[in-house]
Amino acid sequence: MSCAKCVGAVPLAGLSRRELLNRFGMGLGGIAVANLINPAALIASGSDGQDRGVLNGQFHVPPKAKRIIYLFMAGGPSQMETFDYKPILRARNGEQLPDSVRQGQRLTGMSGNQSSLPLAGSLFEFAQHGAAGTWVSSLLPHTAKIVDDLCIVRSMCTDAINHDPAITFFQSGSQIAGRPSMGAWVHYGLGSDNEDLPAFVVLITPGKVDQPLYARLWGSGFLPPEHQGVQFRSGKDAVLYLSNPDGVSRESRRLLLDRLKDLHAHAAEQLGDRDVDTRIAQYEMSYRMQASVPGVMDLSNETEETFDLYGKDSQTPGTFAANCLLARRLAERGVKFVQLYHQGWDQHDNLPRDIERQCRETDQASAALVIDLKRRGLLDDTLVVWGGEFGRTSYSQGKLTATNYGRDHHPRCFSVWMAGGGVKPGLVFGTTDDFSYNVVDEPVHVHDFHATLLHLLGIDHERLTYLYQGRRFRLTDVSGKVVSALIA
Amino acid sequence: MIAVRFCGALALAIAVFATLGLAGEKPPRPAATGRVDFTRQIRPLLSDRCFRCHGPDASRRKAKLRLDVREGAFKKLDKGWAVVKPGEPSKSELVRRITTDDTDDMMPPPESKLSLTADEKALLTRWVAEGAEYRPHWSWAPVATTTLLPRAGMSAPSNPIDAFVRARLEQEGLSPSPPASPEALVRRLAFDLTGLPPSVEDIEAFAADPSDAAYQRLIDRYLASPAYGERMAMDWLDLARYADTYGYQADVERDMSPYRDWVISAFNRNLPYDQFLTWQLAGDLLPNASREQRIATAFNRLHRQTNEGGSIEEEFRTEYVVDRVNTFGTSMLGLTIECARCHDHRFDSITQRDYYSLFAFFNNIDESGLYSHFTNATPSPSLLLWTAPQEQEHQRLVGEMRTIEAGLERMHRSAKTAFDAEPKPQAVTLPKPIVHLAFDTVDGDKTPDSATGTPAELKDTPVLTDASALHFSGDNSVVDPGAPILGRTDPFSLALRLQRTEPQDRAVVVHQSRAWTDAGSRGYELTLDHGRVFFGLIHFWPGNAIGVRSRLPLPLGAWSSVAITYDGSSRASGIRVYVNGVVIETEVVRDHLYKDITYDKAAGDNVNEQPRLTIGARFRDSGFKNGLIDDLQIFDVELTGVEVAQLAGTRAPAAVAFDHFLARSYQPSIAARADLKKRRVDENALIARVPEIMVMEEMPTPRPTHRLQRGAYDAPQELVHPNTPASLPPFPADQPRNRLGLARWLTDSKNPLASRVVVNRIWRMHFGQGIVATQEDFGSQGRLPTHPELLDYLAARFMAERWDVKALHRLIVTSQTYRQSSAAAPALTARDPDNQLLARGPKRRLAAESIRDSALVAGGLLNPTIGGRSVKPYQPAGLWEQSGTGKTYQQDSGGDLYRRSLYTFWRRTSPPPSMVTFGAMSREVCTAKRDVTTTPLQSLVLLNDPQFVEAARVLAEHAWQRFPGDGPARNRLAFRALIGRSPDTVEAAILERLFREEDAEFTSHPDAAAKLLAVGESKRDRALPANELAAMTSVVSAIMNFDEFVVLR
Repeated sequence: MSCAKCVGAVPLAGLSRRELLNRFGMGLGGIAVANLINPAALIASGSDGQDRGVLNGQFHVPPKAKRIIYLFMAGGPSQMETFDYKPILRARNGEQLPDSVRQGQRLTGMSGNQSSLPLAGSLFEFAQHGAAGTWVSSLLPHTAKIVDDLCIVRSMCTDAINHDPAITFFQSGSQIAGRPSMGAWVHYGLGSDNEDLPAFVVLITPGKVDQPLYARLWGSGFLPPEHQGVQFRSGKDAVLYLSNPDGVSRESRRLLLDRLKDLHAHAAEQLGDRDVDTRIAQYEMSYRMQASVPGVMDLSNETEETFDLYGKDSQTPGTFAANCLLARRLAERGVKFVQLYHQGWDQHDNLPRDIERQCRETDQASAALVIDLKRRGLLDDTLVVWGGEFGRTSYSQGKLTATNYGRDHHPRCFSVWMAGGGVKPGLVFGTTDDFSYNVVDEPVHVHDFHATLLHLLGIDHERLTYLYQGRRFRLTDVSGKVVSALIA
Repeated sequence: MIAVRFCGALALAIAVFATLGLAGEKPPRPAATGRVDFTRQIRPLLSDRCFRCHGPDASRRKAKLRLDVREGAFKKLDKGWAVVKPGEPSKSELVRRITTDDTDDMMPPPESKLSLTADEKALLTRWVAEGAEYRPHWSWAPVATTTLLPRAGMSAPSNPIDAFVRARLEQEGLSPSPPASPEALVRRLAFDLTGLPPSVEDIEAFAADPSDAAYQRLIDRYLASPAYGERMAMDWLDLARYADTYGYQADVERDMSPYRDWVISAFNRNLPYDQFLTWQLAGDLLPNASREQRIATAFNRLHRQTNEGGSIEEEFRTEYVVDRVNTFGTSMLGLTIECARCHDHRFDSITQRDYYSLFAFFNNIDESGLYSHFTNATPSPSLLLWTAPQEQEHQRLVGEMRTIEAGLERMHRSAKTAFDAEPKPQAVTLPKPIVHLAFDTVDGDKTPDSATGTPAELKDTPVLTDASALHFSGDNSVVDPGAPILGRTDPFSLALRLQRTEPQDRAVVVHQSRAWTDAGSRGYELTLDHGRVFFGLIHFWPGNAIGVRSRLPLPLGAWSSVAITYDGSSRASGIRVYVNGVVIETEVVRDHLYKDITYDKAAGDNVNEQPRLTIGARFRDSGFKNGLIDDLQIFDVELTGVEVAQLAGTRAPAAVAFDHFLARSYQPSIAARADLKKRRVDENALIARVPEIMVMEEMPTPRPTHRLQRGAYDAPQELVHPNTPASLPPFPADQPRNRLGLARWLTDSKNPLASRVVVNRIWRMHFGQGIVATQEDFGSQGRLPTHPELLDYLAARFMAERWDVKALHRLIVTSQTYRQSSAAAPALTARDPDNQLLARGPKRRLAAESIRDSALVAGGLLNPTIGGRSVKPYQPAGLWEQSGTGKTYQQDSGGDLYRRSLYTFWRRTSPPPSMVTFGAMSREVCTAKRDVTTTPLQSLVLLNDPQFVEAARVLAEHAWQRFPGDGPARNRLAFRALIGRSPDTVEAAILERLFREEDAEFTSHPDAAAKLLAVGESKRDRALPANELAAMTSVVSAIMNFDEFVVLR
């Protein structure tokens, strides 16, 4: 849990909104309300009033993607049951993990005390799919069909071995709490493409009690709070406190806001304080959100064919499938970063039974999202990412039987996939050893992965920085290199 | 002597310019005239662009050049050149390097992605040409104690703050603003000193008599009010990372409210601030430390903790110490010392060795890196929070136990005669075992227990060997469901035969427990530590446990008869280990057990049934790999030496026969022991219910501290000893090398940081920003003080006045500077947008807590109870559930819904959403600064959160009851309660119009009013007309959403 070295980069991208406004003497009159979601971007907004974040449209590199939909599989899906085909594990099922493979690497306290570490071959069949002949497990039949659209990285690696540090690391580039999340960085850098919706939206499949999720994973850390991810939930209030109180109609609310505007206009005149203008605009924005958020959440105008594509779950609000469909709708409306979580991938025991359920819940809708974006012409500039915080061990945690086994956390190698947004389709990248224990070729560290995602969005990860406590922080901390082989 | 810089008008002009240019981030264009100011213009530039490679970090230093010290900056080079040659830019390598176009020589190098602008290059060159003045970083210099008050030209202010501020304004050609209106001032004062709005009575009284005397009386009253301590605590709790849960993923609840209540009370009693810091750092080390001095040290235990399964204990224990060090650095030194965890600090003179030397102060408590998943034990070390009657009862019991034990000793000395008269039998009758597993037969997955009659269960098939013993794999085990549960007051003994067959670092042989670290090892256990016998009784390992370990290992490949006896005393000396019938030498590993070793659902342990006797392995622990076990017996008495010997088939030494006589035959001793046990049982029952709080308590032998390579727990380097950073004043020679010495060093008048940091923080409470804007960073990369002389004057005075916080508040709030109107003409706003020159009064948005609290006050809902466990007010349903921890938010009811916000339950992974929307922190780590940005989500909270809707309705009712027939008067009352002044005619007209419009709206929708009025738990006044009351509620809600409700002007 250590940071490496502290490297800085280009200054200026670290001022508070007020400092920016004040320094440049800008007033707020007539500025589009969208900016107020990220007022720091005001300075960067052009005459059209669009919020372009601190980059102000001055991309560091030509952008290939405009937005990201990140399907986060919390808990750590097994690479050996999904994309990393290892027949030798079956051939040597039950044999001890060779010391030459483990190389003294640390294990968690869960399996580290086991007296035996028997290799566990996957119970699931693998077959080659698509033009590239990519190996995919039988658990993912829908994903297998779109494999030529995917860019699969089998050589991911991370530093952390426990859930909390690992997922915090993946979401914020640091195992230490208090850093901004990926979506907050993107929002800070690029601003928003929609005046009536937050730029960074979080969706969670409810009812999955497993490894918990925490507000910090989509928090803004030391960035101003407007960069926080806004959770959209199924049910009455899609956004917290969005609905008017019982008994208050939209008309009544409008009356209140009109008179409030009068009060504020009067105050602005009296005080000459621009912050009051900001406040007027914020109230209008919140009023519009009351319409725009339910609008985007309302799936009733989606076709039967679309529901069929995503699977029958997609008609049930809050399910992973419905959230994937919602993610597409948010992408259509220009939301920059959709972070979608699906918990339940932590298969220490009963892996065959549980991973089958997890795949069943996610496979069809994940593939449908890619298909749907593609046919709507959105896949070109929307990057879809699928993956968890680490992989799993090739030896069984607990007892290995003919029909059952478990797998412990494994940070040394795991698989993720990406689609669209400027990545190479049909690519399988990186190689692990025969035991899926170590990366033998082309490792992609979490920092490298972040650097690559930012690069696809047009950002040099070393130059999107924020000055805090005297240091320029960035998503990739002090390392990370763009993996150009993944980029189309 | 930074202050000297400001004596000359020319220097000042530059300095002011630099200030307004926000020095520290982007040094400004140089002024056309005047000397370059090193501190304000040059050092920040060198720090920001050069120190990374030419600064304090030796490991990264390029070309052996450092610019952060004078010797480095002026180092001589060949041929008459120097790095910096004062007065001669053309012989200064620095100038050549920053101006060259040769990319090989260019500084900063292109790959650093840092650069200097043309103006910055010119500034540096000019600095060299002017003679290259050089000074150390300002905050490292001692606090100037002899600062003279500036002579003001226009007037002679009576308050020294005004003297400093005016002198500066005069040189700027600016004038102070007129005084704020009495309404604005009383509101400002009330929020600043109590966090709450002033009462309508206070506003009216002060408006009628805004004299200095009346103002003084208000100050006195607010400073004396208990709400003052609550307001001060609000800020400190962010720094202390105070919360109601452990954090990390499972984020279990743990109550630290006694610490929070101590903070409130310390401020209310005006505990001198040096004591406030000292108690928190080292209250436990003060002579005859009181309970509250110990509670204060909980400050160091508020860091996050984890219980995630499989976590490596030492990794997280290291994180905890790191958090203590970093929090100390940010909150008390105002430095970002955490950078030096992995390497020397890049910008400030803090080496990695310095970091671990500080680490050594905080590394010395008997803690575990993991808290218990299965039990609700308070992680050690902890303090018992007795009530007075409990403590008296406990002292009585302990006294009685001591008396009985002393009596037993006397009795045993005089029993020799009786013993000599006794016949000495050749053999004794062994007590009946309560457990007896012979391991002679296995039937399926069962093996008989001849003592209990209930067979024991084989888990994952331990195998019966030819020698009719059980062979264990390390992963399999035997569980004996009939074995009685034993506690710490039960004398008992355990005997078995075992054989090791291979070397093992750690092997679990027999235990009554559920897990190792996942349960804090709660229970008793017989384990092998590198083959040596360990036996322990444990409530929470390591700090609430006893345990002994044999000095020698058991042999490999041979059978040993092992017996453990325990006398029920909860003392390590009450455990004896026998091998082959003979007592063997042991060392005490821990000797501090004060709560029971069994599970207690009432105390919050996660249990449906007690863990049973288990042999061979344990959950997530290292089992007895290829170990053999035979003939396990447990007795509910402490076996005597004779009995153990007989059990092992050996002869007991003659001396132990006397012990046997006392224990088995001598009635007075038997009776006294029974008496003692009864007291122990009573004491155990009493203490079980006494809550504990995590505190600091030094281990008798300090834990060695190593420098950690790159900060990694598993990469220890050389040993380091407790010490303070070498670049700061030395550790006082007459102080102990522990946290108390550290606190003395911190609060010594020679320490340049603590007093400045505190004064700056208190200043910020009143002006919205500090004299040093980066209150979290007084280091090289932080902002420079806007009024350095004033900062030092206040710091010196604060120390001279014995760190009297209330006196400092009084000094600040009585200044004319504080009492100015905050209204600013556009020209002034343009010239000084952040009000750094203080030509006008402060303006700031209220903190999340104050916004909610003032709504509660205005509605008359606020419950003023101070302290106690945190409460759970309204929160949208489902948030905790959705985070996946399986926990449900159980909203409180009644008065607990209306407590001040600093009592709101703070769940680190899901903090109260309405507060977070207003910039409150998750409190996972120490934070010195909250953001006060305005966002649309804040509008939604103020408009729709039931807390605010209910408060609006209650205030509407109150206004209605007061003025049933007078709409304008109702509006005025509500406006005044929320905003602190009366509406002007325009505002009054707007409110009246809104009332009419809403009234019509509700009248045309008859059900709507009833629904709105039903929001919140408090019952509406049904005597009032529903539609009108609903309309009035909307009016109040509009006022609550008015800018002035959340902004203090």
